[in-house]
Amino acid sequence: MKVSRPPAGLRETLQCACTPRPAVFNRQRAFEIRPRRFTTAPIPQASGGRFAAAPVRFPQQRENRNFQQDDDIGGADAVGPKDLFYARLVPASRSYFTAQPIFTDDLLSLQHLVAKYANLPTVKPGEQPRVSWRGLAEYRDQVGESVKASKYQKIVKLLARLNQIHPSLVPADVQEAINEYRRDIDVFKNVRRPAPVDGMGRTLGAGRRKSATARAWLVEGNGEVLVNGKTLVEAFGRVHDRESVIWALKATNRIDKYNVWGLSQGGGTTGQAEALTLAIGKALMAHEPALKPALRRAGVLTRDPKRVERKKPGKEKARKMPAWVKR
Amino acid sequence: MATSINCWKCLARPCATSSSRISSIVSSKPFSSTSSKLVGGPKPFKKAAPAGVKQNLRIKKKGAQKTTGRPPASGERKAMRKRIVLSNTNALAVPGMQEFNKDLVADMLEGGEEKKSLVGNVVVLPGETVDALRAIDAFKPTQGWGLFNKPGLLIRQESVELTRALVSAEDEKSTLRYVIEGSKGSGKSMMLLHAQAVAVARGWVVLHFPEAQELVNAVNDYAAIPNSNPSVWMQPTYTAEWLEKIAKANPILDTIKMTQPHNLPIEIPKGTTLGRLCELGVRDSDIAFPLFQALWSELNQSGRPPILLTLDGLSYIMRDSQYRNTNNELIHSHDLALIKHFTDFLSGSQTMKNGGAVIGATSRSHHPISLSMNLAITQALEKQQESPQTERQPFEKNYDERVEASLKDVHVMKLSGTSKDEARGLMEYWAKSGVLRQTVDERSVAEKWALAGNGVLGELQRGALRMRI
Repeated sequence: MKVSRPPAGLRETLQCACTPRPAVFNRQRAFEIRPRRFTTAPIPQASGGRFAAAPVRFPQQRENRNFQQDDDIGGADAVGPKDLFYARLVPASRSYFTAQPIFTDDLLSLQHLVAKYANLPTVKPGEQPRVSWRGLAEYRDQVGESVKASKYQKIVKLLARLNQIHPSLVPADVQEAINEYRRDIDVFKNVRRPAPVDGMGRTLGAGRRKSATARAWLVEGNGEVLVNGKTLVEAFGRVHDRESVIWALKATNRIDKYNVWGLSQGGGTTGQAEALTLAIGKALMAHEPALKPALRRAGVLTRDPKRVERKKPGKEKARKMPAWVKR
Repeated sequence: MATSINCWKCLARPCATSSSRISSIVSSKPFSSTSSKLVGGPKPFKKAAPAGVKQNLRIKKKGAQKTTGRPPASGERKAMRKRIVLSNTNALAVPGMQEFNKDLVADMLEGGEEKKSLVGNVVVLPGETVDALRAIDAFKPTQGWGLFNKPGLLIRQESVELTRALVSAEDEKSTLRYVIEGSKGSGKSMMLLHAQAVAVARGWVVLHFPEAQELVNAVNDYAAIPNSNPSVWMQPTYTAEWLEKIAKANPILDTIKMTQPHNLPIEIPKGTTLGRLCELGVRDSDIAFPLFQALWSELNQSGRPPILLTLDGLSYIMRDSQYRNTNNELIHSHDLALIKHFTDFLSGSQTMKNGGAVIGATSRSHHPISLSMNLAITQALEKQQESPQTERQPFEKNYDERVEASLKDVHVMKLSGTSKDEARGLMEYWAKSGVLRQTVDERSVAEKWALAGNGVLGELQRGALRMRI
């Protein structure tokens, strides 16, 4: 991702002339850069102009002035004689001479942290707190450099290593580094709440298929099924559809353990039957969350996203071309 | 559907079931009931047409189909369609089945703590019952009799209740009025057959209209009964055929002699047996109906056996028939003499002197809708359950007073799915017959029971025996 901005190293040096980076993504650097005001103009702020080099002073003018000020090339009245100032632009970091200076800085600072705390005890793999890191696109956007995925992967690996440090012993600077690279939204906090079992022992599940929608209430019982107030036989003439409806119960050997009361609407018979499959699967999972893998394997938790393909202009149906006519 | 994975040719039963559908699922994917395009494997390459052969897209028309062999004679195909096969020698004989006889009927009614209840057992119909029931067309071609070695009957909770009612009607010499109603495939006709089997076992006279449709769809000849006002119409040919069936199904008629004088078109000597009376009616259809009336009045003399009068397809006779009167208006079904005979007893306006029962069963396949019958059945059921009564729709015109009068205060038996014990008994019988090639355990029974709409018998049979995917 290319971003049209001035080169980053230079930007850092000319910080007063650039918009600062967003506060949310400030990171520590290995080499601290002090933002430095510099100018060669005698009245920098009042005139409003900023200059990269000093205005040419002709000898006549210099003669008029006091020669004591010759060393002070900046010429600003406020700058004291001890605060040396070089007009030549000096890169803030030596990373300036690399292709991606900010990235290199970030990598070096993380490597520094890893090396610094290499001796701290770590948790077993899989036991560390789950953190979702910023994505590559977001990182590129922040730093404005074209960072390769494999390079960013190095950062992520270092972060993962830092995250391995035992949570009770994480140093403040490590925590800060982790927080900098953490995504603003923690996806792992988004845990789906299990559907509740109501006071009468029922659970509700909802499902969709094609253009049909269905709801199913599941209650402990002996295997009776009612769909829209009708028995399975009256609701579905096709045996295959009937089997689809109770497939979640059949696959988990629970047919005679629950009663089903379902409502389905929209679509055709296949859609309604398979919408009920999903609804019953979810309602069953609310009763017995441990059945989730079995239900997942039976395919009754996954919504089938297929819909009727739309008709297109110039075609007779979605894909069918009109018959070829000679002239 | 879980299929058995053993070979098809042998009747040995598998030791364990396996669900092929679940074992084939490897990874998580959305539930889909359609097969993948890749199921058949890669398609073989089509051979290129040989050089010089012009290819075009025109599909060649096939020539007219050549008829091979003799075309079926008239009526042959229908006979094939209506053929009743009651025994299949390829099916395994199930040992230790009880016979449906008088003792079994008595056992059914006892069923106390000391005796194991018969409910859920399949019993075999004895030879004489089978002959009688076959004569009155009680068996239907769709009931799957041809799958088994011998015709068997499942004893349900409802059939025990019906048996109890029949026996008490015999004991009290009262007329039982029953309507059997239920969803499609719930065993209404089989319940009629059960009643007939009980009647045969207990020595009743059995009369049965196997298809009410045949009485009203104007395929038989008909004539007004002379001097009847309003006109009542008899169906001579149908009556003659019916008398033949009655005579064949009830050998007891040969032992009963006529005692009463009758005003008949032909001279019949006193002391003629009722079987002979039927035979005369069969010979000459013109006098069949008067002879049937004579037969009925003889059967209602004291000391004669109770009578079971049944009809299948009740909603056909609960509306206008397709016959027309001299003004070219449709004749109401209840103006046809045979149907009037049935409805008189069903409504309770006439009773059987020696006790008996009149039972009508509704049909749910290709049946006409009779609003009044449906309302009467609903009301009767509500009355039995002591719940508030459904009233007529105020703006509906098609109610029929005569139908409502004929169904007043009948007892309605509502059939629905079987219990799991009954379903299990039936499935075990199928397994023993070698028809169901699957282990019968709690799991398979629960699955089939649920798929059959909470144990509807017709669907249970369809799912377990007919559809073997």
